[in-house]
Amino acid sequence: MSAQRLATALMGALPILFVLAVWQALCSFGYAPPSLLPPPGKVFLRLAQQLGNVGFLDDILATLIRLFAGFLVAVVLGVGIGLAAAVVPAINAVVRPLVQVLAPLPKVALYPALIILFGFDHASKITLVTLDALFPILLSTYYGASMVEQKLVWSALAAGTPRWQILFKVIAPAALPSILTGCRIGLVISCIVVFLAEMISSTDGLGHLLVGAARTFQTVDMFVPLITISLLGLTLNGLLYGLRKYLLRGFPEV
Amino acid sequence: MTSARSIIAKLSPLLACLGLLAVWQIAALWLDTESFPTASHALQTVPQILGDPEQLLNILDSIRRMVIGFSLAVLISIPLGLAMGRSARVSAFFNPLLMMIYPVPKAALMPVIMLWLGVGDASKTLVIFLGVSLPVIYHSFQGAKAVEEKMLWSGAAMGLNGLQRMVRIVLPAALPEILTGCRTGLVLALITMVTSEMIARQSGAGNILFNAMDMAQYDTVFAMIIIIGALGIVLDAAFDKLRWRLVKWAEPHQEILLGAS
Repeated sequence: MSAQRLATALMGALPILFVLAVWQALCSFGYAPPSLLPPPGKVFLRLAQQLGNVGFLDDILATLIRLFAGFLVAVVLGVGIGLAAAVVPAINAVVRPLVQVLAPLPKVALYPALIILFGFDHASKITLVTLDALFPILLSTYYGASMVEQKLVWSALAAGTPRWQILFKVIAPAALPSILTGCRIGLVISCIVVFLAEMISSTDGLGHLLVGAARTFQTVDMFVPLITISLLGLTLNGLLYGLRKYLLRGFPEV
Repeated sequence: MTSARSIIAKLSPLLACLGLLAVWQIAALWLDTESFPTASHALQTVPQILGDPEQLLNILDSIRRMVIGFSLAVLISIPLGLAMGRSARVSAFFNPLLMMIYPVPKAALMPVIMLWLGVGDASKTLVIFLGVSLPVIYHSFQGAKAVEEKMLWSGAAMGLNGLQRMVRIVLPAALPEILTGCRTGLVLALITMVTSEMIARQSGAGNILFNAMDMAQYDTVFAMIIIIGALGIVLDAAFDKLRWRLVKWAEPHQEILLGAS
């Protein structure tokens, strides 16, 4: 079993190594001038250097604060509204058309308006992250909750569960896998959007670092924030996966 | 009775639009600042922008890039995702790499790609392609993984070879999930379209939007938001219609009966 797992891990490492090898080859055989594509060793060295740099860590922190604040608000609103819409027809009647209109709207286009309304600081970026992460979470909560088998609800009612508890004892747990899938998509989108917002207008954060480096053609410094956000996304995704495994431990294979 | 109900159901998104515009109008009147025009003001600016041939061409340029990037991404991602879902080896091979790329904002690659391919169509289309392909791969992968083994066995017993099973059993069974991925991809395509043009200020809808922002032409800013928003809504509605035709059989059947009913 563990040998097999090792083999799987090796298989997965192959294409990543392959990409790195191609990258290195492009540089060392002179196909790409270092000013356009710095060699990977240089980029990772700079990343390691930067991780010891307080200013860089502050930028990461600023990005993370915006990311988490936006994402958490989106989770609370998305799960809350999604469950309410699935259970109460009156709320559904109001929420459904609003979601139909707002979900496909490209929220980045709203960003100038958010800047005008909330200023250049954290607030406008957090709002943008929330708006973008909200709808995947809301939609999968809603679908998960409306797919719950009616039999489960009837059984719980027959077993004497009060009506108002059904939401928390039957529907929310049964919709959990779907909710967590939505959260995962929402998390990835949050990573993307927080970075974009910082690229558009910001004085700190990883996105700002990228734009600053691009303006001065510091290619090495352009790659560092990109790799950092990728690693951050990967770590957060891994944490969410662990949480999912823990929360869904009683569920059949998901 | 039913017809009246269905009419209301059809009109409800429109009502929601009107409601949002009304809220905007009231908020703008209440705040009463130069930088936040009223909804009616912004709406009046929309025909001015669409009537200007240069601006219209810009917007059509954006749409063209988006359509090309989106179609290419879908064509390549669905087979890859299905293959990953059906073969443990393929998925073990590609999964870690894709998981690493997924959270990278594709539009953030724009400055790097611009250095290689220039500010023209190629780099913007490539960025849109990258943005769309990952959710489509991911959802095709999930969809193909969830196909019931029994159906595949039946297919094999009836003499279908691997490729035929893929096309005739796995693809249709995974279609609802694939289309969910395409929908996420569509939203991301719009996001990347706007942001890539924001970074490479050369042409396109994003360019008009952010240039107007920089020059403090707030009417144009808000009118462009309406135009881009409407584009998103129309594309999504069209896509939903297509999805409805293709996977009617997989729709969730009824709402939970818990309330007054």
